[in-house]
Amino acid sequence: MDDILIKAENISKVYRLPAEVIRAVRDVDLEIRAGEFIAIMGPSGSGKTTLLDILGCLDRISSGKLGILGRDVSRLKESSLVGIRRGNMGFVFQDFLLIPTLTALENVELPLLFARLPSGRRKAIGLLQKVGLGHRMGHLPKQLSGGERQRVAIARALVTSPKILFADEPTGNLDTKSGDQVFHILKGLNQKDGLTIVLTTHNNKLGSQAGRVVYLKDGSVVPREESSLYA
Amino acid sequence: MFRSVLVLLFFANLCANAFAAVGCSLNDPDRDVKRLFPESTGYRTTFVTIKEAGGEALERDIEERLGDKFDTVYESPDVPYAYYTVLKGKDVIGRIHGVNQKGQYGGLQLILATDPAGRIVGFYYQKISSPESAVFRNKAFTDLFKGLSLEDFSAYDVKEGAANEGRVSKIQDPSKNSGEDFRATLRGIKKNLILLDVFLHAPESGLGKEGGK
Amino acid sequence: MTWLSVAFKNLARKKVRSLLTIGGVAIAVAVLVSLLGFDAGYQRALTGNIDKMGYQVLVTAKGCPYEAATLMLQGGGGLRYMDEAIYEKIVKDPRIEKITPQLVATAFDKERQGGQGGVVLYMGIDPSYLALKPWATFKTGGWFSGDEADEAIMGYEVAELEQRLPGDQIFIPNVDKVLKVVGIFNRTGTQDDGVIFLPLKTAQRIFGLPGKLTGIGIKLKDLGTLGDFEEDLYNEPGIQVISMAQVKGTIFNLIASARTMTNAVALIAVVIAVIGVINTILMSVFERTKEIGVMKAIGASRLDIFRIIWMETTLICLIGGIAGDMMAIAGTHAVEFILRRVLPYAPSGQLVFITLRLLGISFIGAVIMGLIAGIYPAFRASSMRPVEAIRLGD
Repeated sequence: MDDILIKAENISKVYRLPAEVIRAVRDVDLEIRAGEFIAIMGPSGSGKTTLLDILGCLDRISSGKLGILGRDVSRLKESSLVGIRRGNMGFVFQDFLLIPTLTALENVELPLLFARLPSGRRKAIGLLQKVGLGHRMGHLPKQLSGGERQRVAIARALVTSPKILFADEPTGNLDTKSGDQVFHILKGLNQKDGLTIVLTTHNNKLGSQAGRVVYLKDGSVVPREESSLYA
Repeated sequence: MFRSVLVLLFFANLCANAFAAVGCSLNDPDRDVKRLFPESTGYRTTFVTIKEAGGEALERDIEERLGDKFDTVYESPDVPYAYYTVLKGKDVIGRIHGVNQKGQYGGLQLILATDPAGRIVGFYYQKISSPESAVFRNKAFTDLFKGLSLEDFSAYDVKEGAANEGRVSKIQDPSKNSGEDFRATLRGIKKNLILLDVFLHAPESGLGKEGGK
Repeated sequence: MTWLSVAFKNLARKKVRSLLTIGGVAIAVAVLVSLLGFDAGYQRALTGNIDKMGYQVLVTAKGCPYEAATLMLQGGGGLRYMDEAIYEKIVKDPRIEKITPQLVATAFDKERQGGQGGVVLYMGIDPSYLALKPWATFKTGGWFSGDEADEAIMGYEVAELEQRLPGDQIFIPNVDKVLKVVGIFNRTGTQDDGVIFLPLKTAQRIFGLPGKLTGIGIKLKDLGTLGDFEEDLYNEPGIQVISMAQVKGTIFNLIASARTMTNAVALIAVVIAVIGVINTILMSVFERTKEIGVMKAIGASRLDIFRIIWMETTLICLIGGIAGDMMAIAGTHAVEFILRRVLPYAPSGQLVFITLRLLGISFIGAVIMGLIAGIYPAFRASSMRPVEAIRLGD
């Protein structure tokens, strides 16, 4: 059982707005084991991203119990969550979110600065070469294409050697070719390096290649058939 | 009561500042130009030093024409001379220029007004300290210089303090015991006319370029 | 890569905005340095001026000082005189180290002050004068040949004005007297440069003031005895004792209001600069909400974010501080020029005195200003929750 990285029991996320109460995630149970490649799918507003944020310790749950690497993080504050994220989790976002003032290489190095790890320039260079950007390390994000930026983001997510990589619609802002390229890299990381990957996507073709698909509807996990929109 | 010293300090300081403003510029250029050239409509002020206009060589040239050495302390080549080019419309109708000259009891400030041809049309002492200053300032004496030009002074030997011939030789010392001031006046006027001539022909002086002559 | 380079690259992103903010800080620092430099310089120059009077205590005849000064300005005598007997009495006092009697006389010379006429100061002195003013050295010539000689020693500037050299004559218009110049003092930078000195007895004779003095300059062996000394002289009729320390105090009081105003200006400049810095950094924090969220997502702690934003603020103030210091140094002459026109009394010598220490303090002050100005924006940035920053930052 020690290969269970994340164990969510009956977790919910509620936003209390002045006019209404939104239940973005409802009573979700989920286990993620080391080496899995999981795709969270569902229509817009189904709570995919919220669930991903919760699993990635970017957001806190309203109720339920969440265990990460055997530790109960349900009641932890943001200041403690950062310690869990750091070193254990890498993130890739739909709109890349690179720091525009830093070069590709510096963007990849940045998490090492925060993790207080000794200069890992060599490692950062290695990762950029691995995602096929060895020749564009000195470029600023605005000088790179969308696909290139997302590959820099992947290298950045990997530099601290995380146990899990979270990717929120990693191909959502890319054309088909670049998207395929990015997905191919992610798949390779899972299959060759055994990296655990959790991603959200709209794309059925990508979803079908994941090891496991979790379907969400109105914040709840549903069987595949009920998520008829994507059937 | 300590204000007394304060006032004294303040006062003494004012005096010191007034002393510092030594030069041969006009006391009140607007007033003085209008008085000497009533028909003038404006004037231009230029400051020239011998150093800028030609340096040591020029100084030796001036000394030769003057027939006397310059005082090493008070006639140094970096003393600025003020030239007021008097205008009527765009025409130059004359110039006003002063020199400091060591006198018997103190410094003399000799101011000349000349027409564009370099002839003296006016002369007065802006400053003279002497028991007989009144006779020097008297128009009967100062008017004797009207109409003279540099040529008239060429016969005047500043070292001897005398001229053998010409119009300058006819000017008599008006004082009883201040012959030194009389000779200083003539030396100063000759120096003044030479400097004007020299600066007008020295392109570096910036004085001759407005034409008019 | 370092924290500093991350912060610095952020500032370089909006160059104009950063430069304007740095400029604001620089101006505040320059104003502050100039004014503090003025404070120090004025005090120093004034002290220097008063020290150059040579005496700590001046004994003068009693009288309304304003009246005397006004009369002097108009060229009249107007000065109060006291009897030489007082000098004879004081001179034996064991507390005195050096003492010199003076007789100041004025003559109105209509040739002075550019033809408007002005007052020429004559001062009768005896050899003790040189002992009290060791810096009064001769440029040319020397001391009087006798204590009743018809001779004069000229201050540097008045000699220049009159083009005098030892051996020349000078003419005192009011008393119709011709004296022979025997010496010329070097420039001292004090009012003495404009004074014509005569032997004390000669001055008493030609100005018709036999046995009279206007002042006695005194240097005590121990300034601590000043109170007693003053007290003892208090009962002497017809004189007053003025200590230079009190004169200094009076002058400082006189410029106190000017100082209050300039200090207020400096304070306002600093406040405006701080607000400018806070505003700039806060704007840039809000613009970077998403970036900050991402940094947190990839491992930055609250403290890390705080640190980066704080560094940016401090960098602005640090660069501004250096620029401001340089501006202050470059602007010294301009400030001095303005102050001389504005101040009621400006001593000779350097008015704005900028020391290395002052530059150091202002520089550190600017950095501290940056640290303070940075607290709020840095706090705002570090408090952002990553998910909100990323998801709601659109």
